[in-house]
Amino acid sequence: MSSNPCSSGSVGGGGGSSSSSCGGGGGSGSGPCGACKFLRRKCVPGCIFAPYFDSEQGAAHFAAVHKVFGASNVSKLLLHIPVHKRLDAVVTICYEAQARLRDPVYGCVAHIFALQQQVVNLQAELSYLQAHLATLELPSPPPPPPPPPQTLMTPPPLSISDLPSASSMPATYDLSSLFDPMVQPSWAMQQRQMDPRQFGGPCSSPTGGGGGDLQALARELLHRQGSPPLGSVPCTDVSSSPSLSK
Amino acid sequence: MSNSSRCAACKSLRRKCPQDCVLAPYFPSNNPQRFSWVHKIFGASKITKMLQQLPVELRGEAADCMAMEAYLRVENPVYGSVGIIYQYQQQIIEVQNEIIKINGEIAVYNALLQHQQLQQHQDSFFSTDNDFNL
Repeated sequence: MSSNPCSSGSVGGGGGSSSSSCGGGGGSGSGPCGACKFLRRKCVPGCIFAPYFDSEQGAAHFAAVHKVFGASNVSKLLLHIPVHKRLDAVVTICYEAQARLRDPVYGCVAHIFALQQQVVNLQAELSYLQAHLATLELPSPPPPPPPPPQTLMTPPPLSISDLPSASSMPATYDLSSLFDPMVQPSWAMQQRQMDPRQFGGPCSSPTGGGGGDLQALARELLHRQGSPPLGSVPCTDVSSSPSLSK
Repeated sequence: MSNSSRCAACKSLRRKCPQDCVLAPYFPSNNPQRFSWVHKIFGASKITKMLQQLPVELRGEAADCMAMEAYLRVENPVYGSVGIIYQYQQQIIEVQNEIIKINGEIAVYNALLQHQQLQQHQDSFFSTDNDFNL
């Protein structure tokens, strides 16, 4: 997701952008970027927020980010991220900020819980089907039928290999789906398995001093995310990524 | 409050920990790392404000969730929690594909079984017919 931030379909910084094709930052005659507009400060060239928050509706998005994370925290975070990754970071930060404002208790963690429960349910269904398949006795291949008086249609040979395999499914990272309505947090909370208390809350298990199973799971998933080649970072669908100017 | 009984937040911020410290119940001194994640991502004042706006009975859950989000963002500065969401979405796709595959195998089995049964029925029908003709 490293599109030209000046393109109309993606995030645009007010009249300025720090991308190579747009040059300079905000405040160069096109008005301040959305972040500086919100903060009521001068938008200097090279403003770190300018490429991602345009002056029109970017301010509204930035308001959410500022309320939850604070401008200086986000600025520091972006400074430590390579430029070509900052758009993804801004999108995900906006998502988390909006989720937190929508649900001040669980934030985007409600979405994680909902997905986790969905995985559990699907795996249960898969296990059931696998067990069912294992109990089926495969019939012996039918003998070649003698030519009957009436012509009968013999079914074509069926092949399991004709079925689609998981590996043939494209893996796209569509950040626009983040902005779909989330599952009701109350339902997600009832179903949750990923226990944030394992992140060392005072009510956590005696062994949860630094995380526990959840940390191990998070580390494992993050490690797997980073390990594959070429898409060592999941590729993002540029065309469908939400514009922060919306 | 003495230095030794300060919560992790106040210890990190090098301030006195009052009796009514908002953060103390959720950031105990035995887990300083938890507060460091939250401090780095949200900031002390933001998290204090967010917790203060919630009913007391919900603050524990909120603090735990924010600690998780902060940890995930520290571990993955670009995608944060979305990285985990993505992984789960991919896992869901994989499992759904497996389910489709297995349903297909079951359908193949049923089709083969039906075919075999049909053949057996026809064989018995024609052999009966031959006997009849005799």
